[in-house]
Amino acid sequence: MVSNSNINNVKTKTIGEIFSKDPKIICRNVDVFYGEKQAIKDVSIDIASREIISFIGPSGCGKSTFLRCLNRMNDTIDTCKVKGSISLDKEDIYDEKIDVVTLRAKIGMVFQKPNPFPKSIYENVAYGPKIHGLSSSKEELDFIVENSLKDSGLWEEVKDRLQSPGTGLSGGQQQRLCIARAIAVSPEIILMDEPCSALDPIATAKIEELINQLGKNYSIVIVTHSMQQAARISQRTAYFHLGELIEVGETKKIFTMPEDKQTEAYISGRIG
Amino acid sequence: MVNEHILSSFDDDLHKLNKDLLKLAKLATEQFVNSIDNFSTQNIEEIDKLISKDKNLDDLDEKIQQLGFEIIALRAPQAEDLRRVISALKISTVLERIGDYSRNISNRTKALCELSSDDIPGVNIGKMGLVTQEMLEDVIIAYKDKDSDLSIKVRDTDVVIDKMNTKLYQEVLSSMSRNKKNIVSGTHILFIAKSIERVGDYVTDIAEHNYFLINGKPLSDNRPKADKTSLYGID
Repeated sequence: MVSNSNINNVKTKTIGEIFSKDPKIICRNVDVFYGEKQAIKDVSIDIASREIISFIGPSGCGKSTFLRCLNRMNDTIDTCKVKGSISLDKEDIYDEKIDVVTLRAKIGMVFQKPNPFPKSIYENVAYGPKIHGLSSSKEELDFIVENSLKDSGLWEEVKDRLQSPGTGLSGGQQQRLCIARAIAVSPEIILMDEPCSALDPIATAKIEELINQLGKNYSIVIVTHSMQQAARISQRTAYFHLGELIEVGETKKIFTMPEDKQTEAYISGRIG
Repeated sequence: MVNEHILSSFDDDLHKLNKDLLKLAKLATEQFVNSIDNFSTQNIEEIDKLISKDKNLDDLDEKIQQLGFEIIALRAPQAEDLRRVISALKISTVLERIGDYSRNISNRTKALCELSSDDIPGVNIGKMGLVTQEMLEDVIIAYKDKDSDLSIKVRDTDVVIDKMNTKLYQEVLSSMSRNKKNIVSGTHILFIAKSIERVGDYVTDIAEHNYFLINGKPLSDNRPKADKTSLYGID
């Protein structure tokens, strides 16, 4: 259990408000190393309940690395070492007692490229609830699959072909299938790593609308290279540069009157 | 601007917008200064020339508005770039209006030229015009140099124009009540003075747009005001 004391006394160079009134995830003084190379430097930030927050910054700034720390996806990289503390509901997610599979069900992830399993549409969504024992009957599983596909805005398009392969869907539909798969296990947080970068503008708009809807029930952390996307869908935006969290604040403030010169230069297209 | 954009054509658009806006500022200043000069010299030929030139300001304003819309639509400007485009659009409209008031002053001056000089109240329009001209020149320098302090100074100078207008209003009314022959010319002069006072207000608007452009927040609204003409005659 992470102690309440000193959680809000952290020293940080980050400009803006790193704290949230209702934090779901609390990150304090997080450093990440790949071997000798430090990829994340002393990052502290809260992710609030039911907020949509975007991580932006130039390639290699560490935004995806930091995102992957939030559900321990970096555990799969041997040379990766994470220091500092990250807690979910005040529970240290790096504690050795934590079951990583359960953690990743609570903190789901959607990747850049849609990656449906080579199974049917139904099985793609049903797989998670099955392995986590979330349903006790076929009817219950059907209910979860239908609701997840409805929440991901895909139900009307696939309800008559649930046994067709998931890989046969269009790119945008596959990505919404992956989102349905993530929400089928009742996560509390969804991490998205450039979820629209492989999609056309219409499919992107559908995913953005879906993110807006999902933001009413989940915390969503999205890494994006599209600043317009960050501006359209997130309530808060965090700007990373060279592994540091430079500035975080309300999206409308970051895009109209950022306090930091580096943030201003990046969002205005002056550094990349 | 901090430094150049990665996309050089974005810089080209912003530079073009800025260049056109400064050109419009120069034209509006010339029109205003000439309208005050023409009031003194009453040269009909110059007055007609000034009135016909007003269309140039209208055309340039339209061009700036078009370019501004295109930049917003195609470049999606952010932060200072966004403030620069929005401010340019607003300032352009204001400069075009200053041109309109200069034309109004000239129309009234032309009418005064037809009247006998004995029937015109002797008031100091030139001095009021000069203070306004200095404000207009200063606010353009403040825009070019991103000078926040000069913008505030210009805004606060508007009170001088207001006081001059109130004093002039009282003088013209007294003159008209003393000599009924002065009513026609006095009315024209009141409208000329009001036009100059409105130009002062527009210069103040530009100063406020400058401040927003530089600082990203509006200038507080508690600026000194002293136009009491609307209260004249109330005990």
